[in-house]
Amino acid sequence: MASLLELRDITKSYNNTRVLAIPHLVLKQGAVYGIMGPNGAGKTTLLSIVALLLPPTSGTMYWEGANIATMDRNQLRRKVTLINQNPYLFNTTVEKNVSYGLKMRGIKREQRRERVKACLDLVGLPGFAKRMARELSGGEAQRVAIARALALDPQVLLLDEPTANVDRHGVEQIEIILRELKEKLGITIIVATHDVNQVHRLSDEVIYLFDGMISAAPLENLFQGRIVKKEKDLLLFDTGRIQVALPRERDSVSRIAIPPGDIIVSHNPISTSARNSFAGTIAHVIDEGDLVSLIVDVGEKLRVKITKRSFQEMQLNLGSPVYVTFKSSSIKTF
Amino acid sequence: MEYLWEGIQEAIRLIISVDNEVCRTVLLSLRISLTATLLASILGIPVGFLIGTREFFLKRPVITFFNTLLSLPTVVVGLFLYSLLSKRGPLGLLDLLFTPSAMVLGQFILAIPIIVALTISAIQALDPRVTWTAMTLGAGPVRTAMAVLSEARFALTGAVIAGFGRVIAEVGAAMMVGGNIKGYTRIMTTAIALETAKGEFAFALSLGFILLIVAFSVNILFHYFQGKRG
Repeated sequence: MASLLELRDITKSYNNTRVLAIPHLVLKQGAVYGIMGPNGAGKTTLLSIVALLLPPTSGTMYWEGANIATMDRNQLRRKVTLINQNPYLFNTTVEKNVSYGLKMRGIKREQRRERVKACLDLVGLPGFAKRMARELSGGEAQRVAIARALALDPQVLLLDEPTANVDRHGVEQIEIILRELKEKLGITIIVATHDVNQVHRLSDEVIYLFDGMISAAPLENLFQGRIVKKEKDLLLFDTGRIQVALPRERDSVSRIAIPPGDIIVSHNPISTSARNSFAGTIAHVIDEGDLVSLIVDVGEKLRVKITKRSFQEMQLNLGSPVYVTFKSSSIKTF
Repeated sequence: MEYLWEGIQEAIRLIISVDNEVCRTVLLSLRISLTATLLASILGIPVGFLIGTREFFLKRPVITFFNTLLSLPTVVVGLFLYSLLSKRGPLGLLDLLFTPSAMVLGQFILAIPIIVALTISAIQALDPRVTWTAMTLGAGPVRTAMAVLSEARFALTGAVIAGFGRVIAEVGAAMMVGGNIKGYTRIMTTAIALETAKGEFAFALSLGFILLIVAFSVNILFHYFQGKRG
């Protein structure tokens, strides 16, 4: 697939605080990207920059290889459409909402009507043209917003948390629509979400954002909290549910991540130099081929990765009581 | 008591029989107030829109100023206009005093603050995503402004109706700059004041009924549109 949009050394700062730093990112024609990350990771900022709605503080963007600084921004903006988490629908009919952008482009009424019909069909809302936009459910409103964006025939469709305000049935429908759009129209779709399962269901490639930077692998077992005790070489970090011992490398920590591969599972407490040991029960088992992911509930839900062989040897099951142990030095702090 | 009862009966008879004098007074009232409201809307809505959407130095005091003008006494407007339009006044040459045009001008001044103040509040109460949505869909500055006004249409209609409600019922300015000349500048409110003083109770009462109906209708319409804005 050809490169459609390329970001080089893009940064965004507010009042000298850097909120985004992307050394290099290539978005290909017709691919679906998922952007994952916790709140405040920079997902919306990245989407707004890609949508050309927010100028980056520094860096260069290329559209089909050409520097966009040399191109007409307004023309380009028409090729990229961003749909907000909570899109605004004008207080009128669905048809007028979907055709608004077409009207702005001076397209004739007859053509507009046909295009609206085609787009409403694409999002599974045939016959909704004359309905009042304000009377729709969250999922339907989100689909009308998608139809309104599609009417403009964009090459890139950006969606910020498209299913955040939608019920479960609506979520499924929106995911089906996005997959169909990719197949039928071949447009590039970028979806920001913090739903792990959704991102894997939808995307060809997942971009993990953390503190404004792309991280190689997703940060798992990510917890927010605060330091409650400082000792000579140790910090005690409280997530609100469990207390975790950290090495005293820095004094202010607001988030920690515990790599699932660094956690040892055992039936009985083990005596090691590891500072953190918790008793819990297995709440969920996920088969991942050679590996098995366990979700162990120790107050917080910890994701633990072990080999399938150890899983079988230990005869673990849903609900089995286990101990999880990990070194304070394996914890990533932020 | 009998005097009141006879007055009411005569008033109803005047209304039902479509009395010439009553009709002429009502129509003139409506013509003057509607013209004043229309002119005030043409100026007031854009001014309110600009104040509501722009950030500028002294924005707060300007809004407070318009809110204060909401309680502008009608007699003071009459007095002010009278001094301007009288023969010796700076606009005396226009020869407008005691004409319907002077009354339109007076009511225009009374309606402007209401329409501006309610337009500002309508625009400020609007979802900020309207502007952003219109822009991302390719609207330029003018079309974006149109989208904002269109989204605020119910509240704006309410503003216009409230302006009309104020001027149709006012008597001070109309009396002072209109002069209450029969068949020329006599409107419902000034006629009621005069006819009551003259003892023509039934005639005043019939106009009073019609004015009440107009005021009620205006209020019902106002609340209908205010209710729709949500």
